[in-house]
Amino acid sequence: MNKMDAALRELAGMDDLAALSSGIHRLHPAVKFLATILYIFTVASFSRYALSGLLPMVLWPVLLYQMSGIPVSLCFRKLRFVLPLVLAVGIWNPLLDRVPVLQIVTLTVTGGILSMCTLMLKGVLCLMASFLLMATTGIDRLCAALRAMHVPEYPVTLLLLTYRYISVMLREVSVMTDAYSLRAPGQRGIHFSAWGSFLGQLLLRSMDRAQSLYESMLLRGYRGGFHYAETRPIARKDWLFLGLSAASFAFFRLVPVAQILGGMFV
Amino acid sequence: MHMADALLAPAVAGTMYVLSGTTAGLSVRTLRQEQEADPQKLPVMAVTSALVFAGQMINYTIPGTGSSGHLCGGMLLSALLGPQAGFLSMIVILTIQCLFFADGGLMALGANVWNMAFYGCFFGYYVIWRPLMRGGSPEKDRTNTRMRIIAASLLGCILSLQLGAFSVVLETSLSGITELPFGAFAGLMQPIHLAIGLVEGLITSAVLLFVYESRPELLQELSCAGAGGRLTAKRSLRTTVIVLAVTAAFVGGALSLFASSDPDGLEWALFGNEEEGYAANMGLDEENFGNQSAVADTAGRIQETTSLLPDYSFKDSESAAGTSVSGLIGSAMVAAVAAGICVAGGFFRRKQQQKAGTI
Amino acid sequence: MIEFANVSYAYEKDRPVLRDVSFTVQDGETVGLIGCNGAGKSTVMKLLLGLLPCTEGRITAAGLPVDKAHLPQVRERLGFVLQDPDAQMFMPTVYEDMLFGPLNYGMTREEADRRIDAALKQLRIEHLKGRHNHRLSGGEKRMAAIATILAMQPEILLMDEPTAALDPYNRREVIRTIGDLSGTKVITSHDLDMIYDTCERVILLHDGAVCADGPAEQVLHDRELLESHRLELPLRFSVS
Repeated sequence: MNKMDAALRELAGMDDLAALSSGIHRLHPAVKFLATILYIFTVASFSRYALSGLLPMVLWPVLLYQMSGIPVSLCFRKLRFVLPLVLAVGIWNPLLDRVPVLQIVTLTVTGGILSMCTLMLKGVLCLMASFLLMATTGIDRLCAALRAMHVPEYPVTLLLLTYRYISVMLREVSVMTDAYSLRAPGQRGIHFSAWGSFLGQLLLRSMDRAQSLYESMLLRGYRGGFHYAETRPIARKDWLFLGLSAASFAFFRLVPVAQILGGMFV
Repeated sequence: MHMADALLAPAVAGTMYVLSGTTAGLSVRTLRQEQEADPQKLPVMAVTSALVFAGQMINYTIPGTGSSGHLCGGMLLSALLGPQAGFLSMIVILTIQCLFFADGGLMALGANVWNMAFYGCFFGYYVIWRPLMRGGSPEKDRTNTRMRIIAASLLGCILSLQLGAFSVVLETSLSGITELPFGAFAGLMQPIHLAIGLVEGLITSAVLLFVYESRPELLQELSCAGAGGRLTAKRSLRTTVIVLAVTAAFVGGALSLFASSDPDGLEWALFGNEEEGYAANMGLDEENFGNQSAVADTAGRIQETTSLLPDYSFKDSESAAGTSVSGLIGSAMVAAVAAGICVAGGFFRRKQQQKAGTI
Repeated sequence: MIEFANVSYAYEKDRPVLRDVSFTVQDGETVGLIGCNGAGKSTVMKLLLGLLPCTEGRITAAGLPVDKAHLPQVRERLGFVLQDPDAQMFMPTVYEDMLFGPLNYGMTREEADRRIDAALKQLRIEHLKGRHNHRLSGGEKRMAAIATILAMQPEILLMDEPTAALDPYNRREVIRTIGDLSGTKVITSHDLDMIYDTCERVILLHDGAVCADGPAEQVLHDRELLESHRLELPLRFSVS
């Protein structure tokens, strides 16, 4: 399976998740979007040594994953992009910051290790939140949410159309890549001599497709406006969700819950 | 170059959102005005950005090496669609990558758009592509035009990637999440992206040359310069020289800046003294930005009082250890609660399924 | 009713693709438009839909002249099913795609929903309503593309190669569907068996001119006529 097919399967997987039904799926997309952004900003705002302070933040996504029926394990598969990058930056901390913070019997924890772990946890938490957003929302409802938040129509329509044609293009590039590699055994990629024509051919063909796409829009009365299936106004339960989420973020951000809990036993 | 959320501080991410958002807003305005004259632009943009999205996955074998390169596409899109449309298309590509493939974070989206789309589209277009492409009649002197396409693609991609990489370094360092000194980080990032930019430039020029040979009217500036003949060939040569001189001076200046500067000194200037702690750093950062310093001070103070393990506590290792042991036990309890939620959720779902099954 | 009166068209000067084309399609008729590649079938369709400006001759559709002033009304009355469903269906889901036309033509949401459900029921594809367009199979895509046009309830239905790249079962389904639809229909295709199954009348275009116009029985049985215009007898006649 080539990269394009893998990407197609990944997109299909997200669509399937978004098509499930749960209380979280049914929340207004704009509210979910705002809560997710708020969550990520809160997580990122923790100090770089605040590992135990950050940990209770895991409760919000864990709870929502359970309520929405999305398996957490799926989200961790996506970590393959995030973790190496975060690690590449964070790996220097243990080397450069060797101030000891904690002594557990013979094991010394330095500030660098602590900050690296915090960084990794931040990476995981942010991913959990944004994956949950998309897994319970889907592109159509996301676009409706963006419109509800007064994002201009032009980029939202562009997002919608691009998403639709990404799968078409992925399929075409996939077929072309397979056709190429069948005639060029042993080559790991596109040979220098075909660099321009490979994508160029596809580009020219895409222009023709764009033309007929535009005609199809015109014939169905396009005058610069798009319509979204999701039109329901934000209800009281949506506000409640946003309020509760924001309150819990503020609580966990301001109160070192883990430390207080632990303090009861020390 | 896709940054993750964890690598940015909220203040930096927010600033980048504002910068990218403003640019996007201005671009949307320009495109809306053009929409009357060119209503087909939107579908063309959608299909082209979908193509670039898929095209980013193509492996290009780099001659003479065993490795392969990839396309990012900012420069290519702006040469085909114009800077504003290219910028919006890149935003859409990056948004989809972020949301559906977890490639780049949601909070970091503003920064990613800036690093990967802004320079390629606006800097690459207005500083490199347009001056180089303007003038000259494409019908008469095809070799000349070909050379100019290659030069513009290479210069545009290399420079915009250098700027992008530098922005990544700057944003990460300003966010204060890494111990890596500013100079060392930049020394790591810039050369890597020189190579990446070179490959990207070669791919871009190959694609643009192909388009030029088959449908030259698709290339920005080329068509209108040829039709309108606003500028003469001589002037284009002069602008070419000027552009080259400016970019050379820019690169040279930037490189010598790295070579001569004391990294620690630079870091100190940017982030304040490490010993003063995170809260103090926050304040200094904001002052450097020249805004919101009062707010930042307050934020710093709140952080100082609420932060679980503020930097300065490490000086007093005994107390630090004390807090941390209780933190450790507390963390274990939180983990237990999270596991409990999972078990309860699973139990609840099974029960529901059973119920649905019996009915 | 569709009327072409002495229509000529050239993309480039002195290289006409249509030369003095005249024909009429009566209300309720199903007409097949056939011809080899480059015969001018697509140009006829594009002129009829106002996607190309009619420079010579006169075109009327559904009682209105096809010109700039009447384009919105004409297009509301005509439904065009494109050959490539991926180009036709640009929204993420089937349902949203079906909403697009009716809402653009000023229908209320309730009315649009009613029409969408009716169209889906008519094509027996109610189960596709919430599906994502890019997850549909070739046959499903084709049916959904027809449904998006039916939801607009056009007076005249135009179809470009409706059976292209379909397996035999799905091809059968599309033929059955076309047969079930009432109203005026114009179908272009190289699938002459399908044309024979669905159309009562056939117009043969060659080199930009109408070469034959008559009952399907007659035109599609004429081996000499078809072969001289780079076409072949429908399979069912050539076998026997």
